[in-house]
Amino acid sequence: MTDVIIVPDGQLVRNLEVNAGQKTDMVLLIMPGVSCDVRLDVRLTGEGAEANIYGAYICGGNEKVNIAVDMHHDVPYCNSRQLFKGIAGGASKVDFYGKIIVAKDAQRTEAYQENHNILLSDEAKVDTKPQLEIYADDVKCSHGATIGRLNEEEQFYMRSRGISLEDAKVLQMISFIAPVLENIQDETQRDAASSEFESQIRNIIRNI
Amino acid sequence: MANDILLKIEGLRASVEDKEILKGVDLTIRKGEIHAVMGPNGAGKSTLSAVLAGKPQFTVTAGTIEFLGQDLLAMSPEERAWAGVFLSFQYPVEIPGVTITNFMKTAVNAHRTGKGLEPLKAGDFLKFMREKMAFVQMKPEFAKREVNVGFSGGEKKRNEIFQMAMLDPTLAILDETDSGLDVDALRIVANGVNALHTPEKAAIVITHYQRLLDYIVPDVVHVLKDGKIVKTAGRELVAEIEEKGYDNL
Repeated sequence: MTDVIIVPDGQLVRNLEVNAGQKTDMVLLIMPGVSCDVRLDVRLTGEGAEANIYGAYICGGNEKVNIAVDMHHDVPYCNSRQLFKGIAGGASKVDFYGKIIVAKDAQRTEAYQENHNILLSDEAKVDTKPQLEIYADDVKCSHGATIGRLNEEEQFYMRSRGISLEDAKVLQMISFIAPVLENIQDETQRDAASSEFESQIRNIIRNI
Repeated sequence: MANDILLKIEGLRASVEDKEILKGVDLTIRKGEIHAVMGPNGAGKSTLSAVLAGKPQFTVTAGTIEFLGQDLLAMSPEERAWAGVFLSFQYPVEIPGVTITNFMKTAVNAHRTGKGLEPLKAGDFLKFMREKMAFVQMKPEFAKREVNVGFSGGEKKRNEIFQMAMLDPTLAILDETDSGLDVDALRIVANGVNALHTPEKAAIVITHYQRLLDYIVPDVVHVLKDGKIVKTAGRELVAEIEEKGYDNL
């Protein structure tokens, strides 16, 4: 089962160890108004271990969101995937730091990390630092980070079909966050998260 | 008869990034008419369609546009769509993560809300959508595809006409709908446009070439050159342009 964590204000520290043949799935949800400092340390310690960490954040005010993930591949044949997506509006500040550390013996590692962001205002700031530290030579690893704005060509296309500017932005942001939320396996939980995100997104757009 | 007039453009000037593209366009379209706007590249054809649809990057510096008696320039792009204006894009935009179903449901229900109607029930909407997809020979699985993402040129244009069929506009503006189409796709698209046309509606067909006008036959043909309409005549003008080119008009 996916571990869904609604991140509260303040510090959240999790140290996870994933043993041989085991799998950990985690989805972190950071809602508007929450300022937090998330520190995850994931250690894959047995062959065939798998860790999938997903996160979505939405900030519309003065939030400060720090996310730091260390993903340790200590042994061969382990997989990890990280996907963090977020929207920063108002005067919020997001810091993302993510590191994949592949030990010398951890051959046949597959490790991926992505962090994508949308800025809604000139005052909002996003700082993203993806890092790879690889000591093995037979691995598949990649990382990517982007910071962008809502695409105005898409907005005009939607508006020309009668979709209001507000609804167009909501559609854009929901489709941006969806790849994170769709990893929540339990349907009830997933639908609840989607509708909560949708109403929070709508609030933020109305207050721009 | 004045009340036959659907669209009246007078003295329209428009710029993008301080460069004037339209330099005084006059155009009157009556109900039931199909107008072709032809012209060389860079004449301002696409600018005219973008200004009619209300694209924010274009600034109208002079002139008026009246659509069914309303001041079109005072309306947002979505208000124009609700009033019955539809633009088929030359380059339809890809919207990753948004399915055609979700996109069209939002659009159709926005139109219905604008008219004071209840949103369509999910089942009724899907039935309606399937009908219109069949109308332009789009496979049902496209309903689940992301809007225009990975579509071929022909699929994108058929998707435009599908959306037009869903929204049933009073004024359809087809911007270079023929570009990138093979002859079969061209026929499907043209048949779709013709089938949707009624004596209450009008269409503006913007094109560089004669090809599309063999299938969608215009009542009036305009030549747009350097931001102005330099010639207006009946459909016989199409053959004249094909023969002489734009330079000798």
